[in-house]
Amino acid sequence: MRIFTILLLFFGFNQLMYSQVQKNTFSINYSNISRTDALKKIETSTNYKIYFQDDWFDPTVLISGDYSNKTIEELLSKVLEDTDLNFFIDRNRIILTKNSIVYSKLPSNGTKDSNAPIFFQQYDSVKKNKSEAIAPIALIGKETLDSDTELYTLSGHITDLKDGKPLADITVKAKNTTSSTITNAEGFYSLKLPTGLSTIEIESIFHNSASRKIMIYSNGTLDFSIIEKINQLDEVLVKGKDSQNVRTAITGVTTIEAEGIKNIPLVLGERDIFKVALTIPGIKTAGEGSSGFNVRGGKEDQNLILLDNATIYNPTHLFGFFSSVNPYTINKVDIYKGGIPPEFGGRLSSVFDIVSKNGNTEKISGEGGIGPVTSNLTVSIPIVKDKASLLVGGRATYSDWILKQLDDEDLKNSQASFYDLFAKYSHKINKNNSVEGTGYYSKDAYSITPDSIYKYSNSLVSLKWKHAFNEKNRSELNFTNSGYKFSINYESANPESFLFKFKINETKVDLKFNTELNENHKFTYGIESKLYNVSPGELNPNGAASIVSPKKVDDEKGLESAVFFSDKFTITEKLLLDIGARYSLYAALGPSTQKIYEDGVPMTPSTVVEEKTYGNNDVINTSGGFEPRIGLRYIFDESLFVKAGFDKNYQYIHLLTTNTTQSPTDTWKLSDLNVKPQSGLQYSLGVFKKLEYKDIELSLEGYYKTSKNILDYKVGANILLNQDLETELLQGDGKAYGVEFLLKKPNGRLNGWIGYTYSRAFIKLDSQFNDEKVNNGEYFPTNFDKPHDFSIVMNYKFTHRYSFSSNFVYQTGRPVTYPIGKYYYQGAEYTMYSDRNKYRIPDYYRLDIGLNIEGNHKIKKLAHSFWNISIYNVLGRNNPYSIFFVTKEGQIKAYQTSIFAVPIPTITYNFKF
Amino acid sequence: MKTIFLRFLTLSILSTIVGCTTPYEYQTNGFDDVITIEATITDQLKTQEVKLTRTYKLEEKTPTPETKAVVFVTDDKGTRYDFKENAGTYTSINEFQASTGRTYELHIRTQDGRSYISSAEKLPQQTQIESVNVAAVTKEGVLGAEITVNSTDPTNSSKYYRYEYEETSQIIAPKWYKQQLVANNGTVSFQPRTTEARICYTTEKSNTLLLTSTSNLAEDKVTNFPVRFIPSTDNFIRNRYSILVKQYVQSLAAHTFSETLKEISNNGSILSQTQPGFFYGNIKSVDNPSEKVIGYFDVSSYSEKRLFFTYTDLFTITKPPYPYDCPTDIPEIDLGQYFFNYCFSTNPNAGCQGNLIVEYIKTKIKVFFPNDGSLYLLYPIECGDCTSFSSNIKPPFWID
Repeated sequence: MRIFTILLLFFGFNQLMYSQVQKNTFSINYSNISRTDALKKIETSTNYKIYFQDDWFDPTVLISGDYSNKTIEELLSKVLEDTDLNFFIDRNRIILTKNSIVYSKLPSNGTKDSNAPIFFQQYDSVKKNKSEAIAPIALIGKETLDSDTELYTLSGHITDLKDGKPLADITVKAKNTTSSTITNAEGFYSLKLPTGLSTIEIESIFHNSASRKIMIYSNGTLDFSIIEKINQLDEVLVKGKDSQNVRTAITGVTTIEAEGIKNIPLVLGERDIFKVALTIPGIKTAGEGSSGFNVRGGKEDQNLILLDNATIYNPTHLFGFFSSVNPYTINKVDIYKGGIPPEFGGRLSSVFDIVSKNGNTEKISGEGGIGPVTSNLTVSIPIVKDKASLLVGGRATYSDWILKQLDDEDLKNSQASFYDLFAKYSHKINKNNSVEGTGYYSKDAYSITPDSIYKYSNSLVSLKWKHAFNEKNRSELNFTNSGYKFSINYESANPESFLFKFKINETKVDLKFNTELNENHKFTYGIESKLYNVSPGELNPNGAASIVSPKKVDDEKGLESAVFFSDKFTITEKLLLDIGARYSLYAALGPSTQKIYEDGVPMTPSTVVEEKTYGNNDVINTSGGFEPRIGLRYIFDESLFVKAGFDKNYQYIHLLTTNTTQSPTDTWKLSDLNVKPQSGLQYSLGVFKKLEYKDIELSLEGYYKTSKNILDYKVGANILLNQDLETELLQGDGKAYGVEFLLKKPNGRLNGWIGYTYSRAFIKLDSQFNDEKVNNGEYFPTNFDKPHDFSIVMNYKFTHRYSFSSNFVYQTGRPVTYPIGKYYYQGAEYTMYSDRNKYRIPDYYRLDIGLNIEGNHKIKKLAHSFWNISIYNVLGRNNPYSIFFVTKEGQIKAYQTSIFAVPIPTITYNFKF
Repeated sequence: MKTIFLRFLTLSILSTIVGCTTPYEYQTNGFDDVITIEATITDQLKTQEVKLTRTYKLEEKTPTPETKAVVFVTDDKGTRYDFKENAGTYTSINEFQASTGRTYELHIRTQDGRSYISSAEKLPQQTQIESVNVAAVTKEGVLGAEITVNSTDPTNSSKYYRYEYEETSQIIAPKWYKQQLVANNGTVSFQPRTTEARICYTTEKSNTLLLTSTSNLAEDKVTNFPVRFIPSTDNFIRNRYSILVKQYVQSLAAHTFSETLKEISNNGSILSQTQPGFFYGNIKSVDNPSEKVIGYFDVSSYSEKRLFFTYTDLFTITKPPYPYDCPTDIPEIDLGQYFFNYCFSTNPNAGCQGNLIVEYIKTKIKVFFPNDGSLYLLYPIECGDCTSFSSNIKPPFWID
């Protein structure tokens, strides 16, 4: 092709003839034929012979035309409309050229003329010295004779060569110029370039750099496919959104790339994105075996965990030892612990925005892992080449089978099993439209005593339609439905056997727009509406002999709607303001019966003065509010910038737990007449510094939060099946503050990060009544108040195939309520407890180590394999998870429980094909 | 190989599911000295009782009684029932009973001048125990006697039940002899027994909170509620046994208090714990409303029923051994501990043990049991005289 062009050029210059002398006109008509056929038709109806290459034309593009008395130039212009082709007429020969124009006259010498022809061969010598592997010069656009602009726009998409997925945050720049840009989420970039030859360079941390020489004639497109770096051992494990962090004004954002976490030591051989999240300053859990997270001093129910935009109510399997989302299906997780973008709402503390992978549209590929407790497999199947694919993933445990093999009678009768399934279909309809659909289901079953079985499951469906109106206006329409349910099946021979069920379902629709008004204003706005349906509890007799009478607590319904708007306002090059707000409105809906309690006395079942009945969809009450979300970023210089934020959030749904930590059998409660919505305010400030030395990044962030109407309980509250639940609840004020320090070395043989957080979280439960007061109505530390939190994650790469990784965690022990005395009551001794959370359990620390062995690096092989050998809790530290006290035979005994008191070695085999 | 693999997995799974629970040594510095009030009055006509104690430190064994307080109960008609003190236990001077429709208040003034008053409490629905039954059942792999209670309230208003029991075990000393050795002036002589020493009775009270509620059930019916389970190997039921089951019908608030008490005292499940803490009952300090007060003034309707059974009624297996070792066939190696030569001699080679026998009898360490030989057969005192560890007073309710 290249040689052909050059030949044509030489040919053209030698002839130096211009075809205008012949002014013959022709009449021709054709309909729905390809351009090739149209040209052939011109050939047959004129005496011209047209030279071109067949592959310049797309045979599927059909054209029609009806012309009379047109010159050959006019006819050819029509046929070649919308192509990159030019033509040159030499007597009865017509030569088509790609991109370039064959000039019949040499340009006049002297002054620079914007219409100066671009002579190709003047650069030709440059290429000859390069190896053959260099991609040919890409010719962009169509040269025009009357072009008067010096800069043209080059745009295109950057995709992963392997699976065709669009790549975001890739730097695209023109060599030796200041022209540079970054791809957006769709992998799209757009760059202003001068005419003529440029070198486009593509840079990415995860991908090999690429460069390509291009010849710009006019606006045009150029797509790149780039190859992932095969050796990922030196990759950044957690990207603090390097570029993103500078680019946005939002505070407290972290991104975890699923691919990047494989080097972190594992528990029971399971790669787990949430376990990695816990090493990030500000994110904690009450202990091993707890189902939830505490983000910046917030309760477990204050985190919005989204998988492809749909809420996951219980993000864990097996009491929190595994995350409920198969890590092989995850692309990345964005964690917002500070500023929450206005498009998200409904939870006070954080958003975990999990985005799944798109399938490979080119070939079948897959990934899997075999571990001691679970195995999983994810396969990607192309449906329509380059357009549509299906990704399916499954994971299951064989712990049940193992339990059955044991001799121990107790263990033999117990069970613990889980599985999860994932499927995603993605289809790129055209440049402007794409659709995605995700389905997910997870299920757990376990028994602690032989006569009862606990089961819980998450399910979700998510549909997404992305539409681009043009380069500057895009929209996204989402529909999601997610559910969580659990049941307790008590099957004893006694007449009180029962089946208890809980269920929550959420249906959400949102429509979001992105508008780039100009360089300085980028808008995101939209609407969102969520419908909650909660079945708080249903008890049914289990078996004919059971005398348990069916009991059901009335269903709850609520509609949470919001409008949101935000503007990324670039005030100056250095000052970026992300100003936005959300207005949320919640309506508790009937059918329902709401109790009205006497004023001025504690709420108890005996102080009900009235019961109000509401019909289906009758509004019980509404609440809502304005939620400003403001972020500010100021860049001092390339290596130093600061951010500040102010955020307000409302939350209308509460998790009820009598346990100190979240457990699968906790129920959700909607706000209503007697339970007020929670609200929270956060002020945050961060300083970020990049050191010249070894690319080390430092960040220091601080926050202060206040919250209202945080739910707590009276001592020994009875939550399940309680028709008068509000009489057991207390709502109080929360207060939290902290400083988070992170040092990160993203690159090099030795890489990893060190995080330290000092933080406090308090709650105040005050009332005019003694039995609604805790700790005399003063602020006291919450269950998850752990002032000091220190973690190190480190990788050391010995060779391309072997690397060592380790992680160390230290945390202050969490608060506990200790017995401080005893009393004698009705024949037995009981414990007299201290003020709530006055003491602390011993500090927590743990060291894990791992060795990662990559398979060989031959490009052509069946599967890419990866071994991970790791030891969890190498020091065998007996970390107390909890301390509790039992009155047994009239004596108080103290016990501590620990989950992994011994080192747990595991070996996992992962493969990719 | 398979075994190692399984063992390895077992370890992982065990840690995952069962975790590890170990006793924990804890230290606290704080201590709150708080009054504890235990007061239940019932519809039974009797001397009603109120107990006042103070909380005590973890390392202490028993509570300090709150003495010299003024205690009385009033009803809504203005009747006042005064109590008198005996070592922290206050009993009503006159017998009285709570009656339906009245409300009652408890008043306490301690010797340091602090006053406490309960909220006004009403007598709940009166419901009789329908039956108390016993059956041999196997629970968690252990064969034993399970005592269950049944109660029905046709008015469907009792709903909240608390149970207590008092159990009595009959003891029959296996090596009892109608004559006993009595020490006198350095010798021993036989005398016929004048007091009962063969059959005794030991009575024990329940010390756990037994609560049940029928509010979830269609009928207000307590069905086979297990009050007590005694393993078949427990010598407490080796002969004849009797249990008195006491039923208290409580108000919802009193029941909630008891439930909370029970809940926070055994929050033992590894993965689900309840939030412990201090909780108030229905008694408040008059002068300082934020003063901590432990206890609940409970007005309950009362019913009781007694049950007897003999080991052989329930079980066909060999009954559990006597609580003390009293072998009939004495192993040769132990003969020296049982047989003694009753003679006195200054010659150490004569093997006389007369003084030793006198000492054993005088200090009530051993007891005589006849045998064919010339040596004295002496058993530990518990084998022949049950009064050494039990009571020989036959309870008035006892039916053989």
